[in-house]
Amino acid sequence: MSPTSAEDARFAHQQLLPGVGPAGQQLIRDARIHVVGAGAVAGPALLYLTQAGVGTIYVDDGGNVNDQGAGSWLFTPDQVGQPRLFAAIEVLRAASSFVRVRAYATDTEPTATVVCAEREPVARKAAERARLGGLPHVVALASGDGGEVVVVPPGAPCYGCASRPGARLPPRSGAAAAIGTLAAVELLLVVLRLLPGKAIGRRIDVADGWPSVRLTARTPGCDCHNVY
Amino acid sequence: MSAKNAVTMSSLRGKTVLVIGAGSLGGPAALTLASAGVGRIVLVDPGAVETSDLAGHPLLVEADLAQPRGATAARRLTRLFPGIDVEVPAGGFDAGSATGFVASADLVVEASSHFPTMFLANDSSAAAGKTLAHGSLLNFTVQLLTVVPGATGCLRCLFEGPPPPGPEAGALGPLAGFAGNLLGAEAVRLLEGLPGAYAGRLLVHEARSVRSRSVPVRRRPGCSACGAILADRAPLAGGAS
Repeated sequence: MSPTSAEDARFAHQQLLPGVGPAGQQLIRDARIHVVGAGAVAGPALLYLTQAGVGTIYVDDGGNVNDQGAGSWLFTPDQVGQPRLFAAIEVLRAASSFVRVRAYATDTEPTATVVCAEREPVARKAAERARLGGLPHVVALASGDGGEVVVVPPGAPCYGCASRPGARLPPRSGAAAAIGTLAAVELLLVVLRLLPGKAIGRRIDVADGWPSVRLTARTPGCDCHNVY
Repeated sequence: MSAKNAVTMSSLRGKTVLVIGAGSLGGPAALTLASAGVGRIVLVDPGAVETSDLAGHPLLVEADLAQPRGATAARRLTRLFPGIDVEVPAGGFDAGSATGFVASADLVVEASSHFPTMFLANDSSAAAGKTLAHGSLLNFTVQLLTVVPGATGCLRCLFEGPPPPGPEAGALGPLAGFAGNLLGAEAVRLLEGLPGAYAGRLLVHEARSVRSRSVPVRRRPGCSACGAILADRAPLAGGAS
């Protein structure tokens, strides 16, 4: 299905970007993105992916809104105690009528995954599931004044190879949102095929307001190259 | 919340930040300020919500189309963070109002994406001795700079004046959001008395390559905005007066 004139008007500035244009916008429109989490990292990612014109968003979260819910930019204090899943879907549908927002279920078929789980073991498990499914995925974890965003196209070193071991700090105010927002940027670059090359992963670290990047490398002994 | 965070939030509660522009940069910057516990934001934006705003603005939804952008963003901000005081003046940030707006704030956040406004904010902040955190976006490139009057160079030390009009640039919503987040976090850093991450050095960040460059911004003798300021007028660390 081709975009309507209303969609063209909405995404006109996005289509002016080098390498995007109507064809790029169609790639975004065709994307079906599975977002793991609905907390302080995931909330901004969900909002920005929705507003960028992603065709389908699958929200995957089992938590309830707590008293820090506003940090996700999605939930107001009067929603404390409600399931985040349904509250998030309501906000996203209000943000854009061009997106189909659904709860993630086992029979859904996403084209890419964004992992914004608040706990690292959950993030690792979700990243591994995406890798085994052959899906490009972006993993975002906030820590202290910044955090890390890891991009794993199919065939690239897995998240386990790319992530930095060690304890993480509770994110400072705004850090989680910055990392979630950066994850949305990276996911859109994956969808738009604007990353440097196929099967090349990268990790972006944000520390004290400065982003830096390095290409990821497979850890010796990791068998993540054997899957494909 | 840790005891240290509680103390920090308490000190931020008494601060006022002037945010110029409630668009794709100013919106997330204001959210970051609010979530950090800043007590009062003066959000200056006389425009209305346009359809292009809805492609990347965390405080706006489709039902807000054609509504006043500043007031609409402020309404959502106060729903999320009921403890914050958000003032939305009726007019814009112009030559007649700039001095008054800047004088009333502890810190100026320039997020207008409009060159004349950007330089007006630079000049009025320098004249008032107020620290200015500036952010902008051009296609895939983010630029962030903090100007501490008397200690660092300013926007006019770097660019002298607005560039000639060029073709309309593109914008990726989440990249503007990332820039706005970093801008808001920089403002919080400055309000807490910490050195600004972009004080005297322009961050130029290209999203596709994730190449981040640091461009030193030194004071330029004879600068029309900050040339007359004495060198010891404001400290680099904790520049927010």
